[in-house]
Amino acid sequence: MVLGDVNPGAEIIATGNVVVLGTLRGLVHAGAGGDKDAFVYALKLLPTQIRIAEAIARMPEEHIPDDGLIRPEMATARAGKIIVEQL
Amino acid sequence: MGEVIVITSGKGGVGKTTTTANIGTGLAVLGKKVVLVDTDIGLRNLDVVMGLENRIVYDLVDVVEGTCRLKQALIKDKRYEGLYLLPAAQTRDKNAVTPKQMIWLCNELREEFDYILIDCPAGIEQGFKNAIAGADRAIVVTTPEVSAVRDADRIIGLLEAQEIRNPRLIINRVRPDMVKRGDMMSIEDIVDILAIKLIGVVPDDENIIISTNRGEPAVTDNKSLAGQAYRNITRRVMGEDVPLMDLNVPAGLLSKMKKLFGFKSA
Repeated sequence: MVLGDVNPGAEIIATGNVVVLGTLRGLVHAGAGGDKDAFVYALKLLPTQIRIAEAIARMPEEHIPDDGLIRPEMATARAGKIIVEQL
Repeated sequence: MGEVIVITSGKGGVGKTTTTANIGTGLAVLGKKVVLVDTDIGLRNLDVVMGLENRIVYDLVDVVEGTCRLKQALIKDKRYEGLYLLPAAQTRDKNAVTPKQMIWLCNELREEFDYILIDCPAGIEQGFKNAIAGADRAIVVTTPEVSAVRDADRIIGLLEAQEIRNPRLIINRVRPDMVKRGDMMSIEDIVDILAIKLIGVVPDDENIIISTNRGEPAVTDNKSLAGQAYRNITRRVMGEDVPLMDLNVPAGLLSKMKKLFGFKSA
């Protein structure tokens, strides 16, 4: 669990889940030991790269406008692909 | 067999990473197979300047420690055929790699690439020693400032001690208006002090800041004066004789009129 923001260039690596009470802009790897059910949760999910167990994904190329609103989102891995859902 | 060129300076912030990115991209555009190696472990920037940061999975430290194969760590730039990046690690420091490992790495890369450009970190400690370990040639970057030239002088001495002879000089961020006023060292002054051959002069250009922020090297921008300078430098790296660009922006009609009326031209 991280209380605050994670800037680009930082890396969060956890064997379990990752919860960021702030903006996540760095690299996050949840389930680093191989746990495919791990999730990543952040108040604003804008990572440079997200990894859950063996799956890796980048943010989409279109620039998501940073309008200051808090949009909590959770990322999970399903069948090797990373899915992001708003909660 | 490829050529390993280290781009170094001593002083920080003079344009080593920008130069590496631009010469590398320039060589790839001219059809060469190029790999850029970032040896600034812990403070990596080459990936950001190239716009490839989001695609990093493995890095230089992973390769030398055997965590992954060299091919897995190389990032192919999708915009330019033949251009690859080997990024540095962000969460380690410069003691994670040894000069011996760098020599091994350079030998591996020589088999695959025409040019291997090593982006050297600032300083003269382990990072610098790692970066120069496998190099055949060196390019020293400086700005026209006394402090930068002082550091470049030291670096040239250290390069010669490492048997890397005849380094070439790039003078970066030149402002011709300041040189004319006598507020900035001239190209001749700097070449006089450092006594190495010049391979290029790059003018101070706002487009560089824009290009590094966007991750699109200025060498591909036709409207950028610095981009044109880097295009010339790229050709000189390949052995071509290209005359130095005239950095004085030609006086337009408006500034000629201003002079007539006694206003100082901008």
